[in-house]
Amino acid sequence: MIRIEKNAWKVMLDHAKSIYPNECCGAMLGNVDGGDKLVRTAVPLDNAFGGSQAQRYELRPEDLLRADREARAKGMDLVGIFHSHPDCDAYFSETDLKNSCPWYSFVVLSMRKGEFDHANSWLPNPEQTAADQEHLEIVED
Amino acid sequence: MAKILIPTPLRQYVEKKDSVEIGGATVGEALGTLTSEYQDLRRHLYTDEGKLRSFVNVYVNDEDIRYLSKESTPLKEGDTISIVPSIAGGLNGS
Ligand SMILES: [Zn+2]
Repeated sequence: MIRIEKNAWKVMLDHAKSIYPNECCGAMLGNVDGGDKLVRTAVPLDNAFGGSQAQRYELRPEDLLRADREARAKGMDLVGIFHSHPDCDAYFSETDLKNSCPWYSFVVLSMRKGEFDHANSWLPNPEQTAADQEHLEIVED
Repeated sequence: MAKILIPTPLRQYVEKKDSVEIGGATVGEALGTLTSEYQDLRRHLYTDEGKLRSFVNVYVNDEDIRYLSKESTPLKEGDTISIVPSIAGGLNGS
């Protein structure tokens, strides 16, 4: 299960709104205790995809490295990655799966007409052939 | 000795440590020693053919080893090795 604190959640939604109609992306930092994850800080990152970003995103590994360092400096962990699906459901697509990493939670935000609609969290397998849905909750800070 | 920073989800395979100090003249040697000391870690970083998994990027300090000498990149005392995944996605399945 992944829980996201309200402040971090707001940062994620604001980022998705400001980048709409393109896909946004970012890192989620917090604490992990086995399968129990708490996101306390969200870090918006650049979408580095070199083409139309309406249906694609790409993280720069250097940006993720910086986010991981920030997490370590705060005594936190890199918990997962978030990205948005403009005018599309929060499913985990074939492209998402093929470019995923089984180590992290992937939160997908569905944005409809520029506003948040719904979200899901996914756990891709190491073979990048399937992703299980993970229970997602928004909690008080 | 170089310090290898372990991503959170992989710490369970290295006695819950967040970093491991490892000797080795190159990045490949250090990662090889790490994954023979902690064998359960190996399949998370390498394919069955012994290649680093496609989504695994390795950095020495601030440099991606892909732009240095890949796994033959030499290590100096005090270098920090980071393991960073490649992540991307998209809607259209292409
Ligand atoms: Zn996606």
